[in-house]
Amino acid sequence: MTTVDVRQRILAENEAAARTLRDGFAAAGTLVVNLISSPGSGKTSLLEATVRHLGGRVTVGAVEGDIATERDADRLRALGVPAVQILTGGACHLDARQVARATGEAAFPRLDILFIENVGNLICPTSYDLGEDFKVAVLSVTEGDDKPFKYPAIFSRAEVTVISKVDLLPHVRFDLDAVRSQLRTLRPAGTVLLTSAHTGEGIEAWCAYLQQRLTDKRRGTP
Amino acid sequence: MHELSIAHEIYRTCRAVVAAHGGGTLAAVRVAVGELTAVEPDLLVFAWEAVVAEGKDHQARLEVEWRQARQFCPACGADKRQAEASWLPLCPDCGGPLQVAGGDDLDILSVEILGPEEES
Repeated sequence: MTTVDVRQRILAENEAAARTLRDGFAAAGTLVVNLISSPGSGKTSLLEATVRHLGGRVTVGAVEGDIATERDADRLRALGVPAVQILTGGACHLDARQVARATGEAAFPRLDILFIENVGNLICPTSYDLGEDFKVAVLSVTEGDDKPFKYPAIFSRAEVTVISKVDLLPHVRFDLDAVRSQLRTLRPAGTVLLTSAHTGEGIEAWCAYLQQRLTDKRRGTP
Repeated sequence: MHELSIAHEIYRTCRAVVAAHGGGTLAAVRVAVGELTAVEPDLLVFAWEAVVAEGKDHQARLEVEWRQARQFCPACGADKRQAEASWLPLCPDCGGPLQVAGGDDLDILSVEILGPEEES
Protein backbone atom coordinates (compact mmCIF):
# COMPACT_ATOMS: atom_id res chain seq x y z
CA MET A 1 0.00 0.00 0.00
CA THR A 2 1.34 3.39 -0.99
CA THR A 3 0.02 6.63 0.42
CA VAL A 4 0.46 9.62 -1.85
CA ASP A 5 0.19 13.18 -0.60
CA VAL A 6 -1.93 15.03 -3.16
CA ARG A 7 -2.89 18.42 -1.67
CA GLN A 8 -4.88 19.54 -4.65
CA ARG A 9 -8.10 21.50 -4.91
CA ILE A 10 -10.91 19.15 -5.90
CA LEU A 11 -12.25 21.68 -8.38
CA ALA A 12 -8.79 22.51 -9.76
CA GLU A 13 -9.96 22.01 -13.33
CA ASN A 14 -12.94 24.33 -12.88
CA GLU A 15 -10.71 26.86 -11.17
CA ALA A 16 -8.22 26.76 -14.08
CA ALA A 17 -11.08 27.35 -16.54
CA ALA A 18 -12.32 30.22 -14.37
CA ARG A 19 -8.84 31.81 -14.36
CA THR A 20 -8.73 31.67 -18.15
CA LEU A 21 -12.17 33.29 -18.33
CA ARG A 22 -11.16 35.96 -15.81
CA ASP A 23 -8.03 36.83 -17.82
CA GLY A 24 -10.12 37.11 -21.00
CA PHE A 25 -12.72 39.34 -19.31
CA ALA A 26 -9.94 41.51 -17.85
CA ALA A 27 -8.36 41.97 -21.28
CA ALA A 28 -11.76 42.89 -22.73
CA GLY A 29 -12.56 45.26 -19.84
CA THR A 30 -15.84 43.46 -19.18
CA LEU A 31 -17.29 43.42 -15.66
CA VAL A 32 -18.73 39.99 -14.90
CA VAL A 33 -21.44 39.46 -12.30
CA ASN A 34 -22.54 36.01 -11.12
CA LEU A 35 -26.16 36.16 -9.89
CA ILE A 36 -27.17 33.43 -7.46
CA SER A 37 -30.52 32.91 -5.73
CA SER A 38 -33.43 30.58 -5.16
CA PRO A 39 -35.75 29.99 -8.11
CA GLY A 40 -38.30 32.78 -8.35
CA SER A 41 -36.43 35.46 -6.40
CA GLY A 42 -36.56 37.72 -9.44
CA LYS A 43 -33.07 37.51 -10.99
CA THR A 44 -34.36 37.90 -14.53
CA SER A 45 -36.76 40.68 -13.51
CA LEU A 46 -33.87 42.48 -11.83
CA LEU A 47 -31.86 42.18 -15.05
CA GLU A 48 -34.78 43.47 -17.13
CA ALA A 49 -35.11 46.49 -14.83
CA THR A 50 -31.34 46.98 -14.94
CA VAL A 51 -31.22 46.96 -18.74
CA ARG A 52 -34.14 49.40 -18.92
CA HIS A 53 -32.47 51.74 -16.45
CA LEU A 54 -29.05 51.63 -18.11
CA GLY A 55 -30.61 52.27 -21.50
CA GLY A 56 -27.96 52.19 -24.19
CA ARG A 57 -25.28 53.80 -22.01
CA VAL A 58 -23.82 50.48 -20.93
CA THR A 59 -23.49 47.46 -23.23
CA VAL A 60 -24.86 44.43 -21.44
CA GLY A 61 -24.84 40.72 -22.30
CA ALA A 62 -26.18 37.73 -20.42
CA VAL A 63 -25.47 34.05 -19.91
CA GLU A 64 -28.58 32.31 -18.58
CA GLY A 65 -28.32 29.01 -16.74
CA ASP A 66 -31.41 26.85 -16.44
CA ILE A 67 -32.31 23.22 -16.32
CA ALA A 68 -34.79 23.64 -19.15
CA THR A 69 -36.29 26.23 -21.55
CA GLU A 70 -34.91 29.34 -23.26
CA ARG A 71 -37.39 31.56 -21.43
CA ASP A 72 -34.93 33.70 -19.51
CA ALA A 73 -32.70 34.32 -22.52
CA ASP A 74 -35.79 35.17 -24.59
CA ARG A 75 -36.93 37.73 -22.02
CA LEU A 76 -33.60 39.54 -22.25
CA ARG A 77 -33.35 39.23 -26.04
CA ALA A 78 -36.73 40.97 -26.21
CA LEU A 79 -34.96 43.99 -24.66
CA GLY A 80 -32.17 43.82 -27.24
CA VAL A 81 -29.67 42.13 -24.92
CA PRO A 82 -27.45 39.49 -26.51
CA ALA A 83 -28.15 36.45 -24.38
CA VAL A 84 -27.06 32.85 -24.51
CA GLN A 85 -28.94 30.10 -22.71
CA ILE A 86 -27.08 27.22 -21.10
CA LEU A 87 -29.35 24.24 -20.53
CA THR A 88 -27.85 22.08 -17.82
CA GLY A 89 -30.28 19.23 -18.36
CA GLY A 90 -30.78 18.65 -14.65
CA ALA A 91 -27.49 19.87 -13.22
CA CYS A 92 -27.99 22.28 -10.35
CA HIS A 93 -25.25 24.82 -11.11
CA LEU A 94 -23.12 26.29 -13.88
CA ASP A 95 -19.41 25.52 -14.11
CA ALA A 96 -16.66 27.55 -15.73
CA ARG A 97 -16.25 25.19 -18.68
CA GLN A 98 -19.92 25.62 -19.62
CA VAL A 99 -19.56 29.39 -19.42
CA ALA A 100 -16.42 29.26 -21.58
CA ARG A 101 -18.23 27.22 -24.23
CA ALA A 102 -21.31 29.45 -24.12
CA THR A 103 -19.42 32.75 -24.36
CA GLY A 104 -17.31 31.26 -27.18
CA GLU A 105 -20.40 30.27 -29.15
CA ALA A 106 -22.28 33.49 -28.40
CA ALA A 107 -19.59 35.68 -30.01
CA PHE A 108 -20.82 38.65 -27.94
CA PRO A 109 -20.00 42.16 -29.11
CA ARG A 110 -17.64 44.09 -26.81
CA LEU A 111 -19.50 44.17 -23.50
CA ASP A 112 -19.30 46.51 -20.55
CA ILE A 113 -21.12 44.11 -18.24
CA LEU A 114 -21.78 40.40 -18.60
CA PHE A 115 -24.37 38.98 -16.24
CA ILE A 116 -24.24 35.28 -15.55
CA GLU A 117 -27.61 34.22 -14.17
CA ASN A 118 -26.92 30.96 -12.40
CA VAL A 119 -29.36 28.07 -12.02
CA GLY A 120 -31.87 28.94 -9.28
CA ASN A 121 -30.28 27.35 -6.22
CA LEU A 122 -28.70 28.79 -3.07
CA ILE A 123 -26.38 25.85 -2.50
CA CYS A 124 -24.56 24.22 -5.39
CA PRO A 125 -23.56 27.29 -7.46
CA THR A 126 -21.61 28.57 -4.46
CA SER A 127 -18.75 26.14 -5.04
CA TYR A 128 -18.08 27.04 -8.66
CA ASP A 129 -15.97 30.01 -9.68
CA LEU A 130 -17.13 31.21 -13.10
CA GLY A 131 -14.42 33.83 -13.63
CA GLU A 132 -16.72 36.55 -12.31
CA ASP A 133 -15.63 39.78 -10.64
CA PHE A 134 -18.11 39.22 -7.87
CA LYS A 135 -21.11 37.18 -6.81
CA VAL A 136 -24.49 38.72 -6.07
CA ALA A 137 -27.02 36.90 -3.91
CA VAL A 138 -30.64 37.84 -4.56
CA LEU A 139 -33.03 37.25 -1.68
CA SER A 140 -36.69 38.14 -2.13
CA VAL A 141 -38.68 39.24 0.89
CA THR A 142 -41.17 36.41 0.40
CA GLU A 143 -38.45 33.81 1.09
CA GLY A 144 -38.18 34.63 4.78
CA ASP A 145 -35.71 36.52 6.95
CA ASP A 146 -33.83 33.47 8.24
CA LYS A 147 -32.13 32.61 4.96
CA PRO A 148 -28.62 34.09 5.37
CA PHE A 149 -27.84 31.90 8.38
CA LYS A 150 -29.52 28.90 6.78
CA TYR A 151 -27.37 29.26 3.65
CA PRO A 152 -24.20 30.82 5.08
CA ALA A 153 -21.99 29.69 2.18
CA ILE A 154 -23.55 31.86 -0.49
CA PHE A 155 -24.21 34.86 1.74
CA SER A 156 -20.60 34.88 2.93
CA ARG A 157 -19.26 34.70 -0.62
CA ALA A 158 -21.55 37.29 -2.20
CA GLU A 159 -20.08 40.79 -2.31
CA VAL A 160 -23.60 42.15 -2.72
CA THR A 161 -26.90 40.89 -1.40
CA VAL A 162 -29.88 42.30 -3.25
CA ILE A 163 -33.09 42.10 -1.25
CA SER A 164 -35.73 42.01 -3.97
CA LYS A 165 -39.49 42.52 -4.15
CA VAL A 166 -39.36 45.14 -1.39
CA ASP A 167 -42.70 46.52 -2.64
CA LEU A 168 -44.17 43.44 -0.89
CA LEU A 169 -42.66 44.30 2.52
CA PRO A 170 -45.95 45.65 3.95
CA HIS A 171 -47.60 42.32 3.16
CA VAL A 172 -45.06 39.81 4.48
CA ARG A 173 -43.27 39.16 7.74
CA PHE A 174 -39.67 39.96 6.89
CA ASP A 175 -37.45 41.54 9.52
CA LEU A 176 -34.94 43.63 7.54
CA ASP A 177 -32.82 44.34 10.61
CA ALA A 178 -32.49 40.64 11.36
CA VAL A 179 -31.35 40.01 7.79
CA ARG A 180 -28.87 42.87 7.90
CA SER A 181 -27.42 41.55 11.15
CA GLN A 182 -26.97 38.04 9.71
CA LEU A 183 -25.34 39.47 6.59
CA ARG A 184 -22.96 41.59 8.68
CA THR A 185 -21.77 38.46 10.46
CA LEU A 186 -21.26 36.49 7.28
CA ARG A 187 -19.79 39.32 5.20
CA PRO A 188 -18.85 42.35 7.33
CA ALA A 189 -17.86 44.53 4.36
CA GLY A 190 -20.64 43.33 2.06
CA THR A 191 -23.16 45.62 0.40
CA VAL A 192 -26.90 45.23 0.92
CA LEU A 193 -29.25 46.79 -1.65
CA LEU A 194 -33.03 46.89 -1.56
CA THR A 195 -34.82 46.71 -4.90
CA SER A 196 -38.18 46.29 -6.51
CA ALA A 197 -38.16 45.50 -10.20
CA HIS A 198 -41.92 46.13 -10.08
CA THR A 199 -41.84 49.75 -8.80
CA GLY A 200 -38.26 50.53 -9.80
CA GLU A 201 -37.23 51.26 -6.20
CA GLY A 202 -33.49 50.84 -5.65
CA ILE A 203 -32.70 50.09 -9.27
CA GLU A 204 -30.79 53.33 -9.63
CA ALA A 205 -28.54 52.55 -6.65
CA TRP A 206 -27.93 49.02 -7.97
CA CYS A 207 -27.01 50.35 -11.41
CA ALA A 208 -24.75 52.98 -9.84
CA TYR A 209 -22.98 50.20 -7.93
CA LEU A 210 -22.43 48.26 -11.15
CA GLN A 211 -21.14 51.32 -12.98
CA GLN A 212 -18.75 52.14 -10.15
CA ARG A 213 -17.39 48.58 -10.19
CA LEU A 214 -16.98 48.80 -13.97
CA THR A 215 -15.10 52.10 -13.69
CA ASP A 216 -12.88 50.67 -10.93
CA LYS A 217 -12.13 47.57 -12.97
CA ARG A 218 -11.08 49.57 -16.01
CA ARG A 219 -8.93 51.85 -13.87
CA GLY A 220 -7.32 48.82 -12.35
CA THR A 221 -8.43 49.63 -8.80
CA PRO A 222 -9.31 46.46 -6.92
CA MET B 1 -26.86 17.29 -5.70
CA HIS B 2 -23.64 18.80 -7.07
CA GLU B 3 -21.91 16.28 -4.81
CA LEU B 4 -22.09 13.91 -7.78
CA SER B 5 -20.10 16.28 -10.00
CA ILE B 6 -17.61 16.75 -7.18
CA ALA B 7 -17.27 12.99 -6.65
CA HIS B 8 -16.51 12.65 -10.38
CA GLU B 9 -13.83 15.33 -10.15
CA ILE B 10 -12.25 13.58 -7.16
CA TYR B 11 -12.24 10.25 -8.96
CA ARG B 12 -10.69 11.66 -12.13
CA THR B 13 -7.89 13.28 -10.16
CA CYS B 14 -7.29 10.11 -8.11
CA ARG B 15 -7.13 7.94 -11.21
CA ALA B 16 -4.51 10.29 -12.67
CA VAL B 17 -2.53 10.03 -9.43
CA VAL B 18 -2.70 6.21 -9.52
CA ALA B 19 -1.54 6.18 -13.15
CA ALA B 20 1.33 8.54 -12.31
CA HIS B 21 2.46 6.12 -9.59
CA GLY B 22 2.69 3.04 -11.77
CA GLY B 23 -0.95 1.95 -11.77
CA GLY B 24 -2.87 -0.27 -9.40
CA THR B 25 -6.10 0.04 -7.48
CA LEU B 26 -7.37 2.94 -5.47
CA ALA B 27 -7.85 1.87 -1.85
CA ALA B 28 -8.81 5.12 -0.15
CA VAL B 29 -9.01 8.85 -0.66
CA ARG B 30 -8.87 11.48 2.02
CA VAL B 31 -10.50 14.83 1.28
CA ALA B 32 -11.08 18.02 3.26
CA VAL B 33 -14.48 19.68 3.03
CA GLY B 34 -15.11 23.07 4.57
CA GLU B 35 -18.36 24.10 6.15
CA LEU B 36 -18.80 27.01 3.72
CA THR B 37 -18.40 25.00 0.51
CA ALA B 38 -22.04 23.93 0.40
CA VAL B 39 -20.92 20.31 0.11
CA GLU B 40 -22.65 17.78 2.33
CA PRO B 41 -20.19 15.06 3.47
CA ASP B 42 -22.74 12.25 3.67
CA LEU B 43 -24.05 13.00 0.20
CA LEU B 44 -20.50 13.18 -1.10
CA VAL B 45 -19.72 9.69 0.24
CA PHE B 46 -22.98 8.42 -1.23
CA ALA B 47 -22.14 9.97 -4.60
CA TRP B 48 -18.62 8.55 -4.40
CA GLU B 49 -19.95 5.03 -3.90
CA ALA B 50 -22.07 5.46 -7.01
CA VAL B 51 -19.11 6.77 -9.03
CA VAL B 52 -16.76 3.90 -8.15
CA ALA B 53 -19.40 1.14 -7.98
CA GLU B 54 -18.89 -0.35 -11.44
CA GLY B 55 -15.12 -0.26 -11.86
CA LYS B 56 -11.97 -1.83 -10.46
CA ASP B 57 -11.86 0.77 -7.67
CA HIS B 58 -15.25 -0.23 -6.29
CA GLN B 59 -13.78 -0.86 -2.83
CA ALA B 60 -12.15 2.54 -2.59
CA ARG B 61 -13.20 4.43 0.54
CA LEU B 62 -13.77 8.15 0.65
CA GLU B 63 -12.82 9.69 3.98
CA VAL B 64 -14.04 13.21 4.59
CA GLU B 65 -12.28 15.54 6.97
CA TRP B 66 -14.84 18.19 7.96
CA ARG B 67 -13.42 21.68 8.46
CA GLN B 68 -15.49 24.21 10.35
CA ALA B 69 -15.42 27.88 9.52
CA ARG B 70 -13.93 30.03 12.26
CA GLN B 71 -15.99 32.66 13.99
CA PHE B 72 -13.58 35.24 15.23
CA CYS B 73 -14.34 37.97 17.73
CA PRO B 74 -12.21 41.04 16.97
CA ALA B 75 -13.08 42.57 20.35
CA CYS B 76 -11.86 39.53 22.32
CA GLY B 77 -9.16 38.77 19.74
CA ALA B 78 -10.07 35.09 19.84
CA ASP B 79 -11.91 32.38 17.95
CA LYS B 80 -15.28 31.53 19.45
CA ARG B 81 -16.84 28.15 19.11
CA GLN B 82 -20.21 28.12 17.51
CA ALA B 83 -22.95 25.88 18.73
CA GLU B 84 -23.54 22.80 16.59
CA ALA B 85 -25.21 23.76 13.30
CA SER B 86 -25.81 27.30 14.46
CA TRP B 87 -24.62 30.66 13.25
CA LEU B 88 -24.07 33.07 16.06
CA PRO B 89 -24.37 36.70 15.09
CA LEU B 90 -22.76 37.78 18.34
CA CYS B 91 -19.85 36.75 20.52
CA PRO B 92 -21.09 34.56 23.39
CA ASP B 93 -18.67 36.35 25.75
CA CYS B 94 -18.64 40.07 24.91
CA GLY B 95 -21.70 40.33 22.67
CA GLY B 96 -19.74 41.95 19.82
CA PRO B 97 -20.23 40.96 16.18
CA LEU B 98 -18.26 37.91 15.07
CA GLN B 99 -16.32 37.60 11.81
CA VAL B 100 -16.39 34.44 9.75
CA ALA B 101 -13.20 33.05 8.22
CA GLY B 102 -12.09 29.82 6.54
CA GLY B 103 -14.36 26.88 5.93
CA ASP B 104 -13.74 27.02 2.19
CA ASP B 105 -11.57 23.89 2.01
CA LEU B 106 -12.35 21.53 -0.82
CA ASP B 107 -9.15 19.57 -1.27
CA ILE B 108 -7.89 16.11 -2.01
CA LEU B 109 -5.41 15.46 0.79
CA SER B 110 -4.02 12.01 0.01
CA VAL B 111 -4.74 8.76 -1.76
CA GLU B 112 -3.86 5.19 -0.84
CA ILE B 113 -2.93 2.94 -3.73
CA LEU B 114 -2.64 -0.83 -3.90
CA GLY B 115 0.18 -1.42 -6.37
CA PRO B 116 -0.29 -3.90 -9.24
CA GLU B 117 1.72 -6.55 -7.31
CA GLU B 118 -0.55 -6.18 -4.23
CA GLU B 119 -3.81 -6.56 -6.14
CA SER B 120 -5.54 -9.87 -5.54
